[in-house]
Amino acid sequence: MPTPVLLNNIDHKDLRIITRRGAAYGDQLMAVATFPAEFRDVQACYPIVFHKTTDGLGFEPLVLFGFQDGENLFLQGERWDAPYVPMMVERQPFLIGVNGSELMVNVDLDHPRVSRTEGEEVFKPHGGTTDYLDRTNSLLFAIHNGMQDLPGFLHALLEHELLESFTLDVELNDGSQNRLLGFYTINEDRLQALSGEAIAKLHQAGYLQSIYMVIASLSNFRMLIDRKNASLA
Amino acid sequence: MLKRIVIVGGGSAGWLTAGLIAAEHRAAAPDGIRITLIESPDVPPIGVGEGTWPSMRDTLRRIGVSESDFFRECDASFKQGSRFNRWRGGDLGDDQDAYFHPFSLPQGYGDVNLPEQWLAQHPHIPFADLVSYQPHLCVQGRAPKQVMTPEYAAVANYGYHLDAGKFGVFLRKHCLEKLGVHYVPDHVTAVNAHENGDIASLQTVKHGAVEGDLFIDCTGMQSLLLGQHYGVPLISQKHVLYNDSALAVQIPYPAEDYPIASQTSATAQSAGWIWDIGLPTRRGVGHVYASGYISDDQAEAELRAYIVQTGGPQDIPQPRKLSFSPGYREQFWHRNCVAIGLSAGFIEPLEASALAIVEMSAAMVSDDLPATREAMDIVAKRFNETFRYRWERVIDFLKLHYVLSQRRDTAYWRDNTAEVPERLAELLTLWRHRAPSRSDFNRIEEVFPAASYQYILYGMGFRSDFSRAPKPQEAAQSDAFFQEAATLTKKMLHGLPDNRTLINHIKLHGLQKI
Repeated sequence: MPTPVLLNNIDHKDLRIITRRGAAYGDQLMAVATFPAEFRDVQACYPIVFHKTTDGLGFEPLVLFGFQDGENLFLQGERWDAPYVPMMVERQPFLIGVNGSELMVNVDLDHPRVSRTEGEEVFKPHGGTTDYLDRTNSLLFAIHNGMQDLPGFLHALLEHELLESFTLDVELNDGSQNRLLGFYTINEDRLQALSGEAIAKLHQAGYLQSIYMVIASLSNFRMLIDRKNASLA
Repeated sequence: MLKRIVIVGGGSAGWLTAGLIAAEHRAAAPDGIRITLIESPDVPPIGVGEGTWPSMRDTLRRIGVSESDFFRECDASFKQGSRFNRWRGGDLGDDQDAYFHPFSLPQGYGDVNLPEQWLAQHPHIPFADLVSYQPHLCVQGRAPKQVMTPEYAAVANYGYHLDAGKFGVFLRKHCLEKLGVHYVPDHVTAVNAHENGDIASLQTVKHGAVEGDLFIDCTGMQSLLLGQHYGVPLISQKHVLYNDSALAVQIPYPAEDYPIASQTSATAQSAGWIWDIGLPTRRGVGHVYASGYISDDQAEAELRAYIVQTGGPQDIPQPRKLSFSPGYREQFWHRNCVAIGLSAGFIEPLEASALAIVEMSAAMVSDDLPATREAMDIVAKRFNETFRYRWERVIDFLKLHYVLSQRRDTAYWRDNTAEVPERLAELLTLWRHRAPSRSDFNRIEEVFPAASYQYILYGMGFRSDFSRAPKPQEAAQSDAFFQEAATLTKKMLHGLPDNRTLINHIKLHGLQKI
C-alpha cells in the first residue's frame, strides 16, 4: 500500500518526478479507474468496463489496457502507444488528500517515479511551484471533480438495471483460448427498453452521453485483441 | 378451468407454496390464478425446520424476494452442509468421530471413480476432506461467498439456517404486498363437498364459505383436509426410523460477536441425536430421540449436558417438547386436494429434508398446475407416484446414517444396526464392491444424489472392496481432482470472510443484484 504524505516545499524541496513511461515506473497496469468526464477521451483508445469494488458496495468504471494482471498492451518500452494517457496514470505519484473541506496534494514517496536526481522538478529553488506542479495540480483537481459525478452516474445505472456481467472469450492466433471474467458493461437491450421519461432523466443528468461513450468504447476490444496477438508474434 | 386455489395453513409450507404459485401464475393480474390463504389466527406455527438445502436459493429467487431482505428479516445464516459427530462409534475417540456431508459435489464427481482412488491412494484422509474444499471452509467458519458475490450466487454451494417463525412472516408480507395473494385470517370450521366428493369450499367463522378449484392442505400434522376430511392414512415409518420426539431450545451466544457455524451439527446420543444450528443472534439446539428407548427426563439431561459441553449456559429455558409420528400419507394428492408440508408426512429432521420436500411439492404443483379438473387426476397420479418415491428415498438415506454405526452401547443403536430395510440392504450389498453411482439413483430429479450416499457411506467408515475392478488409468485423473480440491481450499480460505463478517455486511449494505 502506498504511504502518501502531504507535499510541502521544505521536506520535498529537492523532489523530482520521472515522467518517462515504462514498466519500471509502475506503468505495467492492466487497468486504471476512470470517471464520466474522462470517457470522451478514453473511449477513443480503450475499452471502458465496470468492475465491482472489493468492499462489495458498488461498481467502478475502468480503462482496460490488457487481459490479465500486469499486462499493458499499450506500453512499448518507454513509449505509451496511444494518443491519450488516462489521468489516473498521468497523476502518479501524486494524489489528492482531503483535510476537512480543503483539498491537499499528497505524494507517494515509495512510488518508482520519485527521484532526487532526474526528472521534472516539483519546486523552484526558492520554494515556488514549477509549471509541472501547476499542471499536476489541475490534473488532480480535474480527477477530484470527475469522481464527484461518479456515484450519481453509477446509481442511475443500477437503478435502471443497466449493468450486466459479460464474459469475453478470445481465441488468439496461437490457438490459445482466453477468457476475460468479472467485468460488467451496459445492457443495451435494457437501455433500448427504457421509457422516454427515464431516458429524458438520464439525459438531463448528463448520464446518457456517458452511457453511449461506454458502449462505443467496446469496439476497442478488437484493437486490444490485435495488440495481444501482435505481442505473441 | 382451474382459476381458484385455496391454501389452508400459514407457516413455511403454506407461504412457500402460495409464493411460488403466485409468482409463477400471475396471481396479481386480473386474469391470473386467484390464490387465497386461510390461516387460523391463533394456531402458532410449529416453528421448527430451521435448516434448508441449496434448493432454497432457487425457490426464494423464483418467489421474487431479495436475498438481502431475507437475511435481514429472517435472522438467517449460511449452511454449507452437515457435520456428524459420534455416529460411527467403535474405537474412534470422540474427537475423531466426526465427518462432513458438504453441499458441494466432490471435485471430479461423475468424471472418475473417486472413492476407488481415494481408498487406493489416501485411505487415511477422510473422504469428504480429500474430494471437497467445503469441510475445510466449515472447520474454519468461513462464509460461502464474498461481499462482491451477487444475491443467490455462490462461491461454495450453500443453503440457509433461518428462524422459521420470522420466515413465515417474511414470506407472508411478500405474498400479500407483492404477489396479490388473498388472505383470510380465520378458522376453518367445516369442509363443504361437491356431490362427486371434491371439496367445494371451506366454511370459516367470519368469512363464510371460501370456494376453490384446488385446495392445498398446509395445516401441519393435523392434516385437516387430506388426513381428517378424506381419511387418507399415514404410513408409519417408526419401524425404520425410531425417533418420534424432540426437545428444542434456543440459547444465546457467549458474546455478540461469537462465530457462527457454517454447518448443522448432528451429535449422536444414547437414543437419538442433537441438532445444533447457529443463527446470527442465537443457537437453536434440540434433541430428537425415540421415546421407546429413552424417557423425556433422560433426553433433557443429555440435551443439557451437550449444551454445557459446547460452551452454552448451565441455565437454559425449559425446552419445548414436540411429538410426531414418523411417516407419510398413502397419497398426497387426493381428488382436488393436495397436502404439502407436515400434513403430507414428517420424519426426523436429520438432513433437513422437510423444507426441501415442501419446495419440491410446491414447485411440482406450480409447474404441472392442471388446467382442468380432468387433467387434475392425471397430475395427481404422477404427483403421488413421484412423492412416494421421494419419501422412500429420504427414508432409505436417513436410515443409512444409522445402519453403519459401530455403536452398540444402547438397545437403540443395536436395533438400528440390526434391521436394515430391504432396498437399502441390497444397495449395501452392491456397494461392498463398488461405489454408490448414478445408476443406483437414476431419476432425473433425485432427492439425494449418489454423491450424498458416498459422503455418508465413507464418512461412516464403510470400506468398499474395489480390488476386483482396479482402473489404474484413473489414478492420474483422480490425483488431478484431489489436487484441484486442495487448491480450491487454499484459494477459498484466502478469499472468503467468516460468516458473521459477511452477514453483518449484508445487514448493513445488502448484496448486489448482479
